Amino acid sequence: MTNPQLSVADTLDTSGLLCPLPVYKAAMALKRLEAGEVLELICTDPGSLADIPALARQRGDILRGVEEREATQVFWIEKGPQP
Amino acid sequence: MTTHLTHLTTDRSVRRYDDIRDLVARPADPTPLVRLNRVTPATTELYLKLEWMSPFGSIKDRTAAYLLAGMAERGELEGKELVEATSGNTGIALAALAALMGIPLTVTIPDGVPEEKKVLLRMLGAEVWETPDDLCPVDHPKDGAIALARSLAASENGTRYAMVNQYENPDNVRAHFETTGPEIWNQTEGRVRTFVTGFGTCGTITGIGRYLKEQDPTIRVIGVEPQKGHRLPGLKSFQEAKEPSILDRDVIDDVIRVDDDDAYGFTRRLYREEGLMVGPSTGAVVAAAHRLDGGGLIVGISPDSGFKYTSFFGDILGDEGLPRI
Repeated sequence: MTNPQLSVADTLDTSGLLCPLPVYKAAMALKRLEAGEVLELICTDPGSLADIPALARQRGDILRGVEEREATQVFWIEKGPQP
Repeated sequence: MTTHLTHLTTDRSVRRYDDIRDLVARPADPTPLVRLNRVTPATTELYLKLEWMSPFGSIKDRTAAYLLAGMAERGELEGKELVEATSGNTGIALAALAALMGIPLTVTIPDGVPEEKKVLLRMLGAEVWETPDDLCPVDHPKDGAIALARSLAASENGTRYAMVNQYENPDNVRAHFETTGPEIWNQTEGRVRTFVTGFGTCGTITGIGRYLKEQDPTIRVIGVEPQKGHRLPGLKSFQEAKEPSILDRDVIDDVIRVDDDDAYGFTRRLYREEGLMVGPSTGAVVAAAHRLDGGGLIVGISPDSGFKYTSFFGDILGDEGLPRI
């Protein structure tokens, strides 16, 4: 499950975890990245479809893509310039 | 000749204890009740119950002991780790007790809890997950730490963690109904007329309030609520947080709202005028009690001491107390 257009710096699989754990772990993973680097995030909690874009907006990151595959959602989040 | 080793046992009359857990307060060995003599007018009989004179430093020692005993009785601890959302004091008491039982503890803690508490938790071996209140951007109340603890408990099909759940666990109320409430009644020789405490998990106000009302339904029970966005760890404003299910509004006669300035102002006065080195939530309780007019003996809860808040106090003091050269 890769996005050929993006160079992914880190992948985080939160399969089986319920909100807000994927959000918490995604925020921690993004913290470790440099601005411009991309996190590939795999979720299975349907709430993530609303929560992850909201997290990106709140943090000033850029959601570069979302893909839904049956019960799994994959997000590609580019770390924005952090204050 | 046989040498017999004699073992000393716990003897509360000489304050000798076999195990640190024997020091957790109970009606036979209560936390102290101390009168304020300067902050209040001479006619006001206001006593503070110093819950920090307890082994792990706060009112949560007795709560944590009851919560864990209940879970152990129900077999909920077998093969499990513990997880709990806490602003620090419950976590510290749980971490100490869990360490003594050999059980790992993960604590989810809201933003804004002083560094001192987080470090103490880690010293006790707990894993600390700091959580912004608005962690889940969509669809969740402003209780990120509670939501995170719940999702940890539900993860791995619920096989790894047992959640202590102080906000919903009736043992929280029972701890105060069976210990703190009777202690206050005994220590005041049944003369308590008004009881004041802050809203947090609401185990204290519900448990003590219920006990005191059973002794005398005319005793007034007052809840202290901080402002929205307050800086009083342990207290909850229900303008921004969900009311815990263990809160019983039927035992509460009145709610007094206290802002940070008032709470920290009284905290400072308690240090300088009464020699009481309390945490800021005690200042909030005294600020509320100060607004009550007459009505006989008042008991307020002093949940913890100030040692875990020195960084907060430093912010408030600014350059006060430093030489002006």
